[in-house]
Amino acid sequence: MGIRELELTDLPQTSDPPVGLLASIVNRLTWPFRYGHVEPRPSTGFYTDTTVCIGCKSCEVACKQWNQLAADGLEWTGNSYDNTAELSATSWRHVKFIEQFAANGQSAGHDTTATHELTIDQLVNGGGAGRWLMMSDVCKHCISAPCQHACPTGAIIYNEFANVYIQRDICNGCSYCIAACPFGVITRSDFDGHSHKCTLCYDRQKDGLVPACAKACPTASIQFGPIDELRERARNRVKELHARGVTGAYLYGEEPTESYSALHSFYLLVDRPAVYGLPDAPFNPWLHMLADYGRTIASALATIAVILSLLFLQRL
Amino acid sequence: MQDDNQARAIEPGYLTQDVTKVPGWHGLVAWDLLFNNLTTGLFLFAAVGELARPGLLGPVARLAYPVALVLLLTDLVMLVADLGDPLRFHHMLRVFKPSSPMSLGTWSLTIYSLPLTLIVAIEAAQFIGWLPSESQALEWMRWSAVVFCLLPAFGSLAYKGVLFSTSSQPGWKDARWLGGWMASSALTLGCAELLAISILTGHPRAAAALRTVAAVLVVLNLIPTGLVFLELRPTLSRIYRDQQVYLALAFILVGGTLVPVVLLLAGDGAPWRLGAVLLIVLGGFAVRLLLLKIPHASHESRTGARALESVRRAVPG
Repeated sequence: MGIRELELTDLPQTSDPPVGLLASIVNRLTWPFRYGHVEPRPSTGFYTDTTVCIGCKSCEVACKQWNQLAADGLEWTGNSYDNTAELSATSWRHVKFIEQFAANGQSAGHDTTATHELTIDQLVNGGGAGRWLMMSDVCKHCISAPCQHACPTGAIIYNEFANVYIQRDICNGCSYCIAACPFGVITRSDFDGHSHKCTLCYDRQKDGLVPACAKACPTASIQFGPIDELRERARNRVKELHARGVTGAYLYGEEPTESYSALHSFYLLVDRPAVYGLPDAPFNPWLHMLADYGRTIASALATIAVILSLLFLQRL
Repeated sequence: MQDDNQARAIEPGYLTQDVTKVPGWHGLVAWDLLFNNLTTGLFLFAAVGELARPGLLGPVARLAYPVALVLLLTDLVMLVADLGDPLRFHHMLRVFKPSSPMSLGTWSLTIYSLPLTLIVAIEAAQFIGWLPSESQALEWMRWSAVVFCLLPAFGSLAYKGVLFSTSSQPGWKDARWLGGWMASSALTLGCAELLAISILTGHPRAAAALRTVAAVLVVLNLIPTGLVFLELRPTLSRIYRDQQVYLALAFILVGGTLVPVVLLLAGDGAPWRLGAVLLIVLGGFAVRLLLLKIPHASHESRTGARALESVRRAVPG
């Protein structure tokens, strides 16, 4: 969707009737108002089990290929194998790499014998010297999404699968969704000036297909399906990991917290969320919006009261 | 839950990055903030003044409305130009979403513009003689438009600060009093503008009254400014050195408050008072620019720290 030239629907077709200037202007002005209603369908989402991610980036590639997203160029970030750097208007999947090995002279925490130089024996015998964490990041498709609350044009909607979806023909690039998202997902494209993010392959879902990233994932780290089913599967997986001694495993975003709704794209993690570049305790800014309005109105009224007092007190 | 006892070495990882993305709001939005507050502050102050003391401020208020309209149009140009796709500005009006401060603000600004234009049109038509200047019906219509305009003008004033505080950006998200500060500051700016208009158009009685009001408002504005500063303090301390923070604070206190108050109260003559007005407006712009820069500065400071850490690791000692 980042490559406008490839979208045939945007180009005049030979079968289109001729459109005059006036009709074109009227169509442009009224188009955003002519939207219908869709019947809801079972909620779907992603469950990402980071313990089985191998960092192959096939999800990134599949996403780019299916959604016709332009290349980002190649930059060496100096951050492990991560050269995508971040989610962007043209990267709706981002595989993160976290190297948890001791730096020279420092302790890795869980194994004091660790050094930078690993032997084959150490690796074969379970590492011992440290570990890799890998995670395929994507839009969280929040049940109560700040970006959706923020959007002044109604471009961001919940589609029939309860996924957060940006209607690209409505978005006008105001960027408020970018400011609102606590996960740093949405980005405005320099190419078309509109906001873009994962659609959870809405087009594929409508045709009964699995999203491209989940389809491509060779280890089933990214799993797609009805959200209740995914949650059940994830809880079982956590129990299984705990039973196998991975006591740090837990689910992130599977349940709502006091300050944030549950996520339709949730994760199984084994370290603090911040280590993966996720907020430890995401906060929905809309929780204090009314109080903020209250303070603003109180401040304005108090100032006006002072103004009136001073104007009436002065005998001029 | 995760095992918190296992502190691990991360190199470089994501631990030190800002999770949120910075919206592409730059200098244009700082001007938008200023012009929004200039137009709404001027209109509200002029309207309240005209309704409360018509004899004293009525003639000056009549001159203020066209200025407020020009400022509003300038603000709207900034708003449209800042969009990623300016030709889609009208998409803002396809829905009304009170849950979105930006939607509420756009509708408020749109509604505010209509009676304001009517007020200015009536005044302009009377000025050039197309309409009678002593018509009761016209005066009633103008007065009704002023009263009707109060609410959308108030909405246009109130939404801006809440828009920023209702976000996930570093600093902004903690600034609970940002909207309160902006409302107080806008009315102070409005008072300063009206003072300038009354000086420039030769209304000494109005200027004398407004001079005192402006001085008091500038001082009172320190209360919400202080509250916002306290809320921003942790973020500012992380981004800037203490000296930088104190320097900025000193500029706000001295350049934006102390000097204008002294000029307003002690300065004898129009140039001093106009200088005070200029300082109040410039101070207001500087604070808005600083506020707008916080997420950008936070992101840059994180990036800089990471780069420094990479160099430190690559070149031990």
